[in-house]
Amino acid sequence: MTDSVPIKRQKRDEYLRLIKEQEVPTEQVKMPKKKFFRQRAHANVFSDHNLHYPLSPAHMDWSPHYPAYINPDPTQKTLSGTPKLLKDVEVVDIGCGFGGLLVGLSPILPDTLMVGMEIRVSVLDYVRTRIHVLRVRQQQLKLGITPEAAEETQTTTESAPEEEAGTLTSLVPGNYENITGIRANTMKFLPNFFARGQLSKIFVCFPDPHFKARKHKARIISDTLNAEYAFVLRPGGKLYSITDVEEYHHWILRHFIVQDGEDISAGSSKLLWERVEGNELEEDPCVKLMASETEESKKVTRNNGNKYVAVFRRKEDPEW
Amino acid sequence: MASLQHPFQRLQYASRQVQGSLDVLIGTAGRHIYSYNATNGQRLDVWPQDVDSTTEPASGASAPTHDQTPPEKKRKVSTDAEPQEEKQSAAKKAPAWTTVPLVAISSDGKYVIAVTGEDKAVRVFELGVDGKLKELSSRVLPKRISALSLTADNQTIITADKFGDAFSMPLIPGDYVKKALETKPAGPSATPLTVHTKGNLRTLEMQKQMAEINAAKAAAGEGNDARNFEHHNILGHVSVLTDVINVSLDGREYILTADRDEHIRVSRGIPQVHVIEQFCFGHTSLVSKLCVPENLPHLLISGDLNGNVFVWNWKQGQILQHISLHEALQSEVMPRGIWNISIDQVNVILISLEGSPQLLCYTIEENTLRAQTTVQLSGNVLDIVGTKSNSFIASVDTVRQAGSTDSWNSSSGALLESLQINIGPDGIQCTPSESPVVSNINLAGTSDIPTGLNEKQQQDVNNSLYNLENMKKKSYDE
Repeated sequence: MTDSVPIKRQKRDEYLRLIKEQEVPTEQVKMPKKKFFRQRAHANVFSDHNLHYPLSPAHMDWSPHYPAYINPDPTQKTLSGTPKLLKDVEVVDIGCGFGGLLVGLSPILPDTLMVGMEIRVSVLDYVRTRIHVLRVRQQQLKLGITPEAAEETQTTTESAPEEEAGTLTSLVPGNYENITGIRANTMKFLPNFFARGQLSKIFVCFPDPHFKARKHKARIISDTLNAEYAFVLRPGGKLYSITDVEEYHHWILRHFIVQDGEDISAGSSKLLWERVEGNELEEDPCVKLMASETEESKKVTRNNGNKYVAVFRRKEDPEW
Repeated sequence: MASLQHPFQRLQYASRQVQGSLDVLIGTAGRHIYSYNATNGQRLDVWPQDVDSTTEPASGASAPTHDQTPPEKKRKVSTDAEPQEEKQSAAKKAPAWTTVPLVAISSDGKYVIAVTGEDKAVRVFELGVDGKLKELSSRVLPKRISALSLTADNQTIITADKFGDAFSMPLIPGDYVKKALETKPAGPSATPLTVHTKGNLRTLEMQKQMAEINAAKAAAGEGNDARNFEHHNILGHVSVLTDVINVSLDGREYILTADRDEHIRVSRGIPQVHVIEQFCFGHTSLVSKLCVPENLPHLLISGDLNGNVFVWNWKQGQILQHISLHEALQSEVMPRGIWNISIDQVNVILISLEGSPQLLCYTIEENTLRAQTTVQLSGNVLDIVGTKSNSFIASVDTVRQAGSTDSWNSSSGALLESLQINIGPDGIQCTPSESPVVSNINLAGTSDIPTGLNEKQQQDVNNSLYNLENMKKKSYDE
């Protein structure tokens, strides 16, 4: 009786336990339900939390995240003594939320390792569970186990239908083995995970707008953070942004592109970026996915809201 | 009853190339900056000049109390309007600060740059031929400043603050016309279409109102951002910056910054600070101090609150040596200060510990630190400055008992100690030495700490000098 675990947490734990027990891949696997994983949309990025992050990118143990990509050579170890992967992670979704974009990207870039980073614990739990279910289902399909109750996913009790990206009924390239989610505060610890130039794409989708001017330092896009994104992104790599807040869209543009008459005599991270426009933008499948597959994107569509996309390419470091 | 005097929080040595100029020793104690003749210890100047500079008026005692709210919480930064207000309210009112926590000297010895505590002002002084301090400018920054550095040409000041930002500003503020800030759309941040919480909708409503108020203000010609001087936010960590150094290596300049989240970042120098060259990974706690030896600029020595000391090839981000002071000393010490003194081809590294009279001595041999005999001083080590003829001066905390950050002495001992570095066949030995400079400075003393401080006031005074424990990360449960 003295147990003070909130009912919501109890239900979630019970639910997670049930999902774990489903690992026997002969049975029907079910997608996690978001209602057990909701969390308030804001997190204090300045507080210490109880975060786990590697001492350096060379210490990061990715092996539990991408078991299909573990280097079979047991002598290949990270600096923390864990197995190395066959390739580096090179796509990051910062603030991945429920992971819709990752799941959508997975079959499009089947040979690229991608990670979603999310600071909210229970939302991340959902992403992990979702990916686990998708992988198990892919294994079942490979073995020819047919789901007897495909309709069961339709009879969800959620009031709003969960239009999930990711399929439970057919095999897809990559089999969702190339995506994962980790809990992280990227504003503080992005360089702990990725070395200089390791990434080819960064996604920032529907970031917390932090309306109040006093909170603007908590925005994920800023002159100073853009220098860190430029550090982990290789020249030619792209940063994709989408928001439904017009003011934030202008904020993003202002923080990537030098404005007319702006004083940049002391330097600016804006000098490291150029905006991607025209055909290149329109033909980029990532842009379409970003505007359609993320949960937030669907929500905006339901509410007839606007979506603002901006993509920037990392330029070469200037001569020195 | 013997009273306690403010210890010297910072020391600097101004070596002057100009003929006829004296070498000057600069010290900060309480809210004052003192300038001394470096050859005989004669006091040359005190800034600011009080009505009575030896005993602080009672209002000095009340200063820490009215500052009970942490300075960071103050959203309105003191602007040009406020000093006027102060002048009106009381002519003999104490200055807005109680400490001068940072001081730097341009390498040509012509300028002293000091940061005053609570008012967060960067003040530049011209150091006269006679050692007089002439205040040239005072620039108030938005957040509390934790470290200062200067570019190699002495033309630009770099500050690091508690909000994680580093700013650059010209040593001598020139004519500056504030450019119109970001062209903010006059309206609110979002439309009610935007899918968000009730709280955000409320904020939206308030922003509409504020936009109207601001528009009215702008029409009336009242701006509210008063930082009307040239300054640039050259880099930022989402953390607390603890140190910053501008280093020259192989004809290029770099800026090294350290933070509370274990990071040391290596950036290109101005104007390319936005290009990050490297992170030095290895610290497991707040990085408390950075030191690049003057003669070995490719090396970096850094300390953290878990007692780790690293020697780095910072340009490569490579650890050359790791020393655990916890293991070496069998005690949970926190490195606080790291200094490099070079004498006769020997590079000496001195490391002080938070709230400790011990001074750890090392020599640098083949890019690693070799431990030498530790020195015991009479009180907690606060700052060190190398002087000529193989010696250095240490300032000690005469208020608190040696080894403690909060037990007060009943009377002050010597504020400064002089030590001689002797090179022997088995290494170096630092031994106390006689110095007329030090004895004259000690004799003249600094200003008295007001007597009869209550416990809370004493604690505030302690915290202004010893803050590492408070800055340590606590472990949280979600």
